[in-house]
Amino acid sequence: MSKTDVLIIGGGLIGCATALHLARAGASVRLVEAGDINAGASGQNAGSLHFQMERRFLENGAALADQAARIIALNRLAIDEWRGLEVDLGVDLHVSQKGGLMVAETPEQVALLEAKSRREISGGLATQLLDGDAARALCPALGPDVLAASYLADEGHADPRALTPAFAHAAAEAGAVISTRQHVLSITRRSPGGFDVAAKKGDEMETLQADQIFVAAGAWTPAVCALANLHIPLFPVALLMNATERTGPILPQLIQHVGRRLSMKQAYAGNVIIGGGWPSRLAQRPDGGFDLNARASIIPLSRSGNLRAAIDIVPQIGALNLIRSWTGVTTISADQLPIAGAVSRVPGFYVAAGGSAFTLGPTFARLIARVMGGERVEALDVLSPDRFNHLNSFMG
Amino acid sequence: MRIEQDVTRGAAIEISVDGIALAAFDGETIATAMLSQGMAMFRRDARGRPRGLFCNMGTCGECMVTLTAENRRVRACVTDAQNGMDIATDG
Repeated sequence: MSKTDVLIIGGGLIGCATALHLARAGASVRLVEAGDINAGASGQNAGSLHFQMERRFLENGAALADQAARIIALNRLAIDEWRGLEVDLGVDLHVSQKGGLMVAETPEQVALLEAKSRREISGGLATQLLDGDAARALCPALGPDVLAASYLADEGHADPRALTPAFAHAAAEAGAVISTRQHVLSITRRSPGGFDVAAKKGDEMETLQADQIFVAAGAWTPAVCALANLHIPLFPVALLMNATERTGPILPQLIQHVGRRLSMKQAYAGNVIIGGGWPSRLAQRPDGGFDLNARASIIPLSRSGNLRAAIDIVPQIGALNLIRSWTGVTTISADQLPIAGAVSRVPGFYVAAGGSAFTLGPTFARLIARVMGGERVEALDVLSPDRFNHLNSFMG
Repeated sequence: MRIEQDVTRGAAIEISVDGIALAAFDGETIATAMLSQGMAMFRRDARGRPRGLFCNMGTCGECMVTLTAENRRVRACVTDAQNGMDIATDG
């Protein structure tokens, strides 16, 4: 039997970072993780620190782009968060914020960049539009097909293998109790408040009692929330990442593409990491539905398409060996924005998941911890789970 | 170190790694030829420390070397040594 102020379910970036902030604020914190720390999307992603509006928000029309613009304020908070992280955690996370270029190859894409940049500047994000030559002056590896680029000096990349373990370590130092390989089996509401959670580690059952529950379980979040009789409309998405062999320094910046699926950066060790949202194939359960506990498989056309896009933008990539491709599973919400905040249908129940959470995860964690401490945090309003309240009208 | 007894080998060949001549046999990989003669360092890491190969089965990518004639990077552990091959470890 464990009794804490807060129980966090999920040992990824957001869960571990929130554990740290809550423990530092004086709360007693228990974190349970069904697998291992950083085993999901937090450690599988390609490590981009992207603060320009994402391409997926632009390709689906103006309504979604307007919604995405509201996340710009969060991006600005995230820029500051990342600038302070290595000092705060006392760990080398290979954070590099030497700028990011979102490139365009066609006049239509240049128009998209212009529209995007206008939105960003009105939101206080200092993107600069560069013509092809100016972009190549900043990043000489860019090929001749780059017509224009929008540049944001704060973008870059960091090491996803290092960040979450660093948060977990700091959280434990601050007093949070973290257990791995422990599965949550049930969540029961207590009267007048709080929760009883049954968890199992090996053959051992444990009851975890907490005043507040925070679910940050990535793609597993809907299943965990189902234990509390709640719908959280997040859908699993399997993506592809690739790494080339190491090479000398060729890419100081993060490279993204406004009209094609591409993100690319050179990691600290010299490997070029190539991704950008190419689909992989989720494993299927024999009885129907997706199997999140089995690895997603690579779609060969995704890999060739991703590498083609990389070579079109940085031709030197074509001379490098591909040494690894891997898949990772993240989630996307019904309206594409992450979900982060209190589920007001069930007092004391909080949730955060839904993508973009390497770049934004440390910020979500900081803000969620404040919300759980009783503060009103306007910056999170746009991500509130309550925008899907209608799904829980008959739940809870 | 090589097994010397009850073993059938290919023809004796010679390769060059970073300018050092290494005796090898047809059918051996570049990595085998290097390791058999004590060349365990395949590169230096960003802090200048020596790094060896890791998996020796084509997966990890830690043993990449350059075939200087073609200026091509290959995995030493799955690339056969060929007589007269000139190899550089630092590419």
